[in-house]
Amino acid sequence: MQELALIQPGGMARDEFLREAAQAEARREFEERLAECGALAYRVARGVLRNSADAEDVAQEALLRAYRRFDRLRDRNRFRAWLVRIAFRLALDRLRSSKRREQRDMFLSHPAHQPPAATAEDLAVSNEFQAHLDRALGELPEKLRLVLLLGAMEGHTIDEIAAIVGVSAGTVKSRIFYARKQLAEKLRCHAKTIKTR
Amino acid sequence: MPCENYKDALTEAAASGADPANALRSNAKMAALRAHFESCASCRTAFAEEQALFISIDAGLHATANAEVPASLLPRVRAALEEVEAPRLHWMSPLIFATTSVALAFLIFLIARPYRSVSDDQAKQTPPISMPLKPPTGSRGQISPSSVQSASTSANHLRAPRKSTLVHSAASSKPEVLVPPDEREAFARFVAALNARSDFAAAIVAEAPEKKDALVVVEPLQISDIELKPLESKETESSDRAGEKH
Repeated sequence: MQELALIQPGGMARDEFLREAAQAEARREFEERLAECGALAYRVARGVLRNSADAEDVAQEALLRAYRRFDRLRDRNRFRAWLVRIAFRLALDRLRSSKRREQRDMFLSHPAHQPPAATAEDLAVSNEFQAHLDRALGELPEKLRLVLLLGAMEGHTIDEIAAIVGVSAGTVKSRIFYARKQLAEKLRCHAKTIKTR
Repeated sequence: MPCENYKDALTEAAASGADPANALRSNAKMAALRAHFESCASCRTAFAEEQALFISIDAGLHATANAEVPASLLPRVRAALEEVEAPRLHWMSPLIFATTSVALAFLIFLIARPYRSVSDDQAKQTPPISMPLKPPTGSRGQISPSSVQSASTSANHLRAPRKSTLVHSAASSKPEVLVPPDEREAFARFVAALNARSDFAAAIVAEAPEKKDALVVVEPLQISDIELKPLESKETESSDRAGEKH
């Protein structure tokens, strides 16, 4: 009994040492991925939230959550896809919680009357069209929205998006096509109004 | 307004994102659409508008999806990671401290146990003297025989093994010792005196250290050498004569 009491603290110290070593290793590994995938988390959040400050908060939260659960991720090559899903879910949650406020802000910050843009490119970069586009993007089904955002991000091929989302390349293409078509239907009236003015 | 028959084909062609001329040549459906464009100006205009719309959508999506990442993001995340790890240590250190303390306390308990049991025995043995016996308030005659009897019982238990308790002594079925009345009275006085001086009582009650029987070593006597001195004859003889005269 006495021997057991004397051995137990030593065993715990050893376990603690091993745990700390594992944590340090996980931290090092996570740091490597942080620089690579931090921007991705931010952009996914930014695409959903359409707000830089909120997107930064959500990206930070997503990265922290990923770090806390990093040891549960068996296949570390799936980190990118995993982080994208975490960031996307968190951004959606944030969006839902602040939907009412954001709608009000959007309504106030984008008045109805504004000079029309001359060309399609000018139209795209104009705040009014961008606001309509963001709004239409927010109304898309989640699975279409994520694929469309990843497709619009630089450096993502169809195969990479398929790997991140966990569907086939054909499904990715199909979703992108339907997503763009739905956006066009929502934005057509705004484009015509601006053009004909 | 585009022609109703070509509306969907027109949208699909624009959504494909390819060059219109190439797209229209690629298959039969697109070839029919291109042939229609030659005769229908409104469909041509609608197609151009659709193309412009998709270009705008793509440009807007590109701007949204490739927003510049704030330079503060990674430092913020790293700082937050430090904060995440710090509470872990804060949470772990009390656990380690508590575990070590418990282990240490257990160790101390194990080491100190024999000494504590001796002092426990003393504590257990003391009550039988003080509890049943109240200080005598009156004369000797007021001490009842029953109290003397209980005192004698408890006195017997003073020499009893460690495990004896007050309850056990009360319930003991050991035969009582018959004591003559005068001895009983003297013992009662003794117990009363003990009760008045508890320190003295504790000293008496304390166990004497056990001494094992050992062989008595008798050291040989050391006798110094005998000195032989010559007798002084003259002085002795004169003194003898003087004594005879008297």
